[in-house]
Amino acid sequence: MRVEYINPFVEAAFNVLREVLNVEIKRGELYLKSVSQPVLGVTSIVGLAGDVEGRVLFDMAESTALAIASQMNGEKLASFDDLAKATITELANMITAQAITKLHDLGFQFDLTPPAIFTGDNMQVTDTEIEALIVPIEMKFGKIEINVAIREKN
Amino acid sequence: MKTKMDFPTINQRRPDGMKENGKPYRVLIVDDSMFVTKQIEQYLTSEGFDVAATAVNGQDGLDKYKELYPNVDLVTMDITMPVMDGVTALEKIIEFDKDAKIIMISALGKQDLVKKSLLLGAKNYIVKPLDRKRVLERVLMTLKK
Ligand SMILES: [Mg+2]
Repeated sequence: MRVEYINPFVEAAFNVLREVLNVEIKRGELYLKSVSQPVLGVTSIVGLAGDVEGRVLFDMAESTALAIASQMNGEKLASFDDLAKATITELANMITAQAITKLHDLGFQFDLTPPAIFTGDNMQVTDTEIEALIVPIEMKFGKIEINVAIREKN
Repeated sequence: MKTKMDFPTINQRRPDGMKENGKPYRVLIVDDSMFVTKQIEQYLTSEGFDVAATAVNGQDGLDKYKELYPNVDLVTMDITMPVMDGVTALEKIIEFDKDAKIIMISALGKQDLVKKSLLLGAKNYIVKPLDRKRVLERVLMTLKK
C-alpha cells in the first residue's frame, strides 16, 4: 500500500475527532496487520472505489462508541441504540470523506460507499490479499483503531 | 415590584425561520444518517423553521419533494447515500422544479463535486462536520437568493 494514502486518513481523523468531540486526541504508532484480525466490538466500515479498491474500518469498544456518540449528540445515550449507531457511522463517513477530499487534492480519484456498522463480540475481519495499516488513536473515551486497506486496481 | 412586562423578551425579533407573513419556512431534510437529520432538525426548529419532512436517500427525497410541492421552501441534501445519491436527486428535483432551493450538505469537499453540484442548480454547499451558526447562515443566504 502506498504511504501517500495513509497520511490523509491520519490528518482527517485528527481534524474531525477534534472538531466533533472537543477533547485531546493522541496518535499511536502505525502498524501493519495481517490477513485475519479480531475487532474490538463496534466496527464501522466504509468502502473505497475509484482508482483503487479497499475499505476503511473504524474499530472500537462498545463503551468507547457509546461515550463518543453521547458527546456528539450532546446528551448521555443510555444504550448503544439506533441513534448511537447512526452517530458512529456518520463519524466514519466524515473522516473517510475528508481523507478522500485531501487525496483528491493530491491527484488521486477515490470514491466512497455509504457506511455500514457491525457490533458483537468475537468478530473477525478477513481480507484476502490486502494488507491493512492501522492508525491507533487514543482519547479519554478510549481507543479507536482506524484500519485502512487499499489496493491499486490493475 | 417588577411585573413580567418590565423584562424584554429574548424573542422580540422575528425568528429567522419565519417568513414576513408569520408562517415558517418549510424544509425537507435528506440524509441517510439519523444523527445528521436530528442535528439539522434541531438547528432549524430552534429558529422557528418547520421541518416538513425528512428522507433517508435520494429517491425518498425526490418522492417527498414532489409530495410536498409547492409547499416546500428549501431542501438540505446529503450526497453519500444508498439507493440514490444526492447529486442524482439534486438533478431530478431541479428537472421537476427548476426553482427548487437546494443546499448540498456533504462530508465530501472535493472541488469537482462542489462545482458539479452548483452547475446542476444547487444554491449552496456545506461541508460536514456541521456547525449551527454556519448552517443557519447558509440556509438564510439561500432563501434570500
Ligand atoms: Mg450520508
